[in-house]
Amino acid sequence: MIEFSHVSKEYSNGVKGLDDVTLHIGQGEFVAIIGLSGAGKSTLLRSINRMHEITAGTLQVNGTDVASLNGKKLRSFRRGIGMIFQSFHLVGRTTVIKNVLMSKVPAMPFWRVVPGIFTKEEKIDALEALDKVGILEKAYMRADQLSGGQQQRVALARTLAQHPEIILADEPVAALDPVTARQVMGDFAKINKELNITILLNIHHVELALAYAERIIGIRSGKIVFDGKASSVDKAVLAGIYGEEMPEGVEELYEAV
Amino acid sequence: MRLYDKVFPPKQMVLSSGKTVEERFTRIPLILTGLLFMMILSIHITGFRISTLMNRGNEFFVILNQMIPPRTAYVSQIIQPLLDTIKMSLLGSFLGSILAIPFSIIAAGNIVKNKWILMTVRLFLSLIRTLPTLITALIATYIFGLGTMAGMAAISIFTFAYVGKQLYEQIETVDMGAFEAMEAMGANRFYSFLTAVVPFVLPAYCSTCLFCLEGNVRYASILGYVGAGGLGLILNEKIGWREYDSVGMILLVLFMAVFLIEGISYYIRKKLT
Repeated sequence: MIEFSHVSKEYSNGVKGLDDVTLHIGQGEFVAIIGLSGAGKSTLLRSINRMHEITAGTLQVNGTDVASLNGKKLRSFRRGIGMIFQSFHLVGRTTVIKNVLMSKVPAMPFWRVVPGIFTKEEKIDALEALDKVGILEKAYMRADQLSGGQQQRVALARTLAQHPEIILADEPVAALDPVTARQVMGDFAKINKELNITILLNIHHVELALAYAERIIGIRSGKIVFDGKASSVDKAVLAGIYGEEMPEGVEELYEAV
Repeated sequence: MRLYDKVFPPKQMVLSSGKTVEERFTRIPLILTGLLFMMILSIHITGFRISTLMNRGNEFFVILNQMIPPRTAYVSQIIQPLLDTIKMSLLGSFLGSILAIPFSIIAAGNIVKNKWILMTVRLFLSLIRTLPTLITALIATYIFGLGTMAGMAAISIFTFAYVGKQLYEQIETVDMGAFEAMEAMGANRFYSFLTAVVPFVLPAYCSTCLFCLEGNVRYASILGYVGAGGLGLILNEKIGWREYDSVGMILLVLFMAVFLIEGISYYIRKKLT
């Protein structure tokens, strides 16, 4: 459960990243956040695991006030939240399984981190995570030898091996081709259904957002301008989010309907 | 530059749409003039005379001539100093490279955010780098006494400063994405560094250390001049006695050793990248 109540974020140069945001996201929801670049999508997402600080309001995740966390408490709180990035953020030089095993590092003692010693249970857990995203056979390949879509799946497996309650995905398909993007969105939908993990993702592709997410949040200049079911999004709603200039492909989407 | 543009006016180009684009006249004549001026200045300062080069230049070949053929019988006395030289450069390079690691981590701007720490450590590294190795070795002989210990200390100090600078620059060019991912998963900065930065810099770091070792073998051979042990000691002695055939032998042995070490190091560095 994620509760934003009158949350604002003002950067030191006076620009408002978030402007009085109030939101309630329940466990197991699949939410897509849409809006122009710089509208505050990333800020919204990253304030949840406090990769960004908020400057006003309160933000609670499963009853914990995020702003109150510090040091050790913040780190153990982050272990329960997965994060996916646009450019995957893997260690390309090492194998796929080592990348997935990195999710175990935060809780490991120092003497196991330095030489990289993992237990059999941890390895099996990592392999099972890879199996869930369908790339088990790539486990011992170097991560940078995989295609973009496969690398994003490795990142997804790394997150799953964390056993998170929430997954935050910052533009997860922006670096992928349209076909692969659909597959990865399908993975998210599957994980959301099967494991009941809350998924929040930022996305530029409106048609993908509408096809896979249950709930859409539209953000413009740091303000929430739309919040509702994906099925209730129409042309007027999108005009409210994006202004005059519609994103590519949206015109066709509504002409077809 | 305004004046320059007035003397050499830019070329006007008119496009078919009626827009005009200005292409500035090339700056190369300006650069060449500057270069020529500096060259003349340095000839004056250094007192370079082409006539001296003509008259005395062939003396160089006289000495070179006396080195050939090298005195092969002398080789038995070279082996020990050669091993000393290699030992002190190997040990010195190793110690310096290890010592450089913690310093380069706190000198990397993407790991440490405090400007004062960064500046202090970087200043420290560049101060040490300015110290010529020969001077360091000389000072080291006062501290540790004559011999290879002093040479080793000098080499490790030089290696420390050189590898330290290279390593912190390598750390700064690492893509911090994986580091961010580790932090988002709840790892502290040190764990994130170990798992997300180390794999990226490790091959480059090993390569830098080996490259430094190659140079150090050559450096180590002259450190004997100030009493820091190794080949330089006998090199100095034989030049003093004008036994150029023995000098020739020393240089030949050194050349072979350096060639061998560079070959091995080049091979390993190729494999690393």
